[in-house]
Amino acid sequence: MTMTVATPPSPARGRLTDRQKDIVQKFAALGSLLVLIVVFSLTSNAFFTVNNGMTIALQVTSIALLGIGATCVIITGGIDLSVGSVLALSGVVAALAVKELGLAVPFAMMLGILTGAFCGLINGILVTRMRLPPFIATLGMMLIARGVALQITGARAVSGLGESFGVLGNGALFRVVTLGDDGFPTVVFPGIPYPVILMVVIAVAVSLMLNRSVLGRHIYAVGSNSEAARLSGVNVAGVTRFTYVLSGTLAGLTGCVLMSRLVTAQPNEGVMYELDAIASAVIGGTSLIGGVGTMSGTFIGSFVIGILRNGLNMNGVSAFTQQIIIGLVILLTVWIDQLRNRR
Amino acid sequence: MPNGAIAGGRIDASQPAAMGETLLSLENISKEFPGVKALQGVHFDLRRGEVHAVCGENGAGKSTLMKIISGVYTPTSGRIVYKGTARSFASPLEAEALGIAIIHQELNLIPHLSVAENIYLAREPRRGFLVDRKALKANAQKCLDRLGVAIDPDRRVRELSVAQCQMVEIAKALSLNAEVLIMDEPTSSLTEQETRLLFKVIHDLKASGVGIVYISHRLDEMAEIVDRVTVLRDGRYVATDDFAATNVDEIVSRMVGRSLEEKFPERTSRPTRDVILAARGLTRRGVFHDIDFELRRGEILGFAGLMGAGRTEVARAIFGADALDAGTVTLEGRQLNIRSPRDAIAAGLAYLSEDRKAQGLAVKMPVDANMTLANMDEVSNRFGLIDFAKHAKAARHYIDLLSIKTPSASQPVRLLSGGNQQKIIIGKWLFRQSRVLIFDEPTRGIDVGAKFAIYQIMDELAAKGIGVILISSELPEVLGMTDRIAVFHQGRIAGVLETAATSQEEIMHYASGYGRAGSRA
Repeated sequence: MTMTVATPPSPARGRLTDRQKDIVQKFAALGSLLVLIVVFSLTSNAFFTVNNGMTIALQVTSIALLGIGATCVIITGGIDLSVGSVLALSGVVAALAVKELGLAVPFAMMLGILTGAFCGLINGILVTRMRLPPFIATLGMMLIARGVALQITGARAVSGLGESFGVLGNGALFRVVTLGDDGFPTVVFPGIPYPVILMVVIAVAVSLMLNRSVLGRHIYAVGSNSEAARLSGVNVAGVTRFTYVLSGTLAGLTGCVLMSRLVTAQPNEGVMYELDAIASAVIGGTSLIGGVGTMSGTFIGSFVIGILRNGLNMNGVSAFTQQIIIGLVILLTVWIDQLRNRR
Repeated sequence: MPNGAIAGGRIDASQPAAMGETLLSLENISKEFPGVKALQGVHFDLRRGEVHAVCGENGAGKSTLMKIISGVYTPTSGRIVYKGTARSFASPLEAEALGIAIIHQELNLIPHLSVAENIYLAREPRRGFLVDRKALKANAQKCLDRLGVAIDPDRRVRELSVAQCQMVEIAKALSLNAEVLIMDEPTSSLTEQETRLLFKVIHDLKASGVGIVYISHRLDEMAEIVDRVTVLRDGRYVATDDFAATNVDEIVSRMVGRSLEEKFPERTSRPTRDVILAARGLTRRGVFHDIDFELRRGEILGFAGLMGAGRTEVARAIFGADALDAGTVTLEGRQLNIRSPRDAIAAGLAYLSEDRKAQGLAVKMPVDANMTLANMDEVSNRFGLIDFAKHAKAARHYIDLLSIKTPSASQPVRLLSGGNQQKIIIGKWLFRQSRVLIFDEPTRGIDVGAKFAIYQIMDELAAKGIGVILISSELPEVLGMTDRIAVFHQGRIAGVLETAATSQEEIMHYASGYGRAGSRA
């Protein structure tokens, strides 16, 4: 419309600019994270300790790893419902590779991760080549992967995997143990668990990829307007497929980490984890419409969920009540997000 | 079909009122949006049984005025008097209930529902909790009969042609006992024959006492149906005249407020004989056939024709966005093998889509990211990591070069005006070093000042030796900017005309399939 411009629209008058709104959003999530930490520190003595900190970090790894993949998929405007099942399948494949095929643990786990990547690739092909809606494609994969995991194990846990299978999930870097006067070892510093290191390294790497690489730019472009991206020469199908493969690969890795922690492969592991992953992305400000989302946001989102669980546990809140509270937190943060986008 | 049915229909029976009586009047209407005055002191009145045209350029305020009449907007100041009572409509539903119906340019029908269901949407006749399907169908049939159109009320709307959809919209308005009918560009996508039918229906509606507000860019066809015409310019009221007492030239000069020449910059580029882009026998079955043309260095080639004649479709196919069934495209003597937009871009082609928001821009992303999207290789290292210094420099360069008005390079593009958005897209393709740019309706919805700037850019590109194709539905634009014009008609090029030696009338004749013969101007 041509209109006579009377006054230039000023962003400073009562309404926030987009950048300010983004900051508010991020601080809203970060702020609630800090509030949670303060509240739980006051209500439980055991909460604010190095040991519990490491426990939380360890618990958060699975949500965060899956959340990282979920964020990339959601930025393109898709969704991945299959990660919970895929992690179970990957973990089970790794365990069976050790037990039945006698593979060395690192190779077995590599096989597990590849299984996840393969599932992601199938998801990507279903979405890009066969043009299925992502919800449907990954819903199908969710059922299939779970079914295969149950089938190949006969629905039984795979145990007796040997100590080396547990290193990835239970080992830690910089663990300091001293031998006490009484001859018993005392843990001075529990160390940084390997899974936590993995989580941080991958989050930083994916964050770099999203913000600084051409691929990342293309991921945002596809989610913001896939037709404009296509007409600008972006390989939309390739970029979309990549995000599903990344999500599947991270699900495979998460599966190996989880099974390693238990030194047992459970085909029933990871049920509903996809929802935690999506929730962490959404709490962190990722828009389900696509085009918007950050790694830092998802990281904060997964810690919000992890700390809520841990803190509520320490305060003796029942598992049922926990679910109610987490549900309310998700609704609240997404509502804030809606407010931010309303104009 | 009973053609005289309207005379015996509900409208006339319930409205014995005299023809010519004022039905609706708007006095001194102003409408402001934050920062802009869309309308200032506009007058408009509509009589029973007349067709009153509203003319003005894009952005003159026609749509805003229509939205005020139909209750979408409330005016900032001014008075609306409808059938002798001062009114202010709180919503379109309220206006509709009082008998004011609008037929939008983009038709508002639901494709998956049947014709009858669309006509009575949210007003379905009921029996208890259930829809009375028999009554629904019978009532819809009655409405369609009154228009004298043969459309099966059971057909799904998605199976209908645009013209048929329009008839369904009109039938819907009649079913609402509309006394004021607003038609926004009703003929823009109709064939000659369909337009005839529409005009017949309009004549019948007039005879039955309905007042029609008629918006159209096609001044030539107005003579047949329009009684009075009101001209708006830049949101202000210019004049209202009996159509018989004025003429098209006068209307146009009032719309523009100056002579036509000033709207376009002096062309500095001169066409050479050197062919940049040549198309031979391009065919996409059922869409376009045997398209041949040559684009020369320094030349701006126009694609004219009615909507749906195949102009955009040909451009998209050349660009690899849609597949070609046959034909070859040659760029600077080299035959291209294009299967996707990526191939086309790599070869040096650029297509600036007619729908900027849907196809041209990633609107949530900032200015700089949009500008570099088609040429990320240039601003990244061999590991695929973006070099932000180069990135910022490139964005800054084109923001300055094209005088894009934006607070910063990191502003999301959806917050910019249409003209600046269009310049960002142009910047994207210039940064890509494109050798042929196809502009598809580049000035649609863009204000006059920005239009001029975009015309200047097009001329400069041509002068630099870049091939420019201009697809446009606005004939003055095609006549003002091009060197030659390929006129499309039903998926074929009906003729290629030298711009200097042709006229609006000649182009229209080719576009409607008459060719040079059968001139009526």
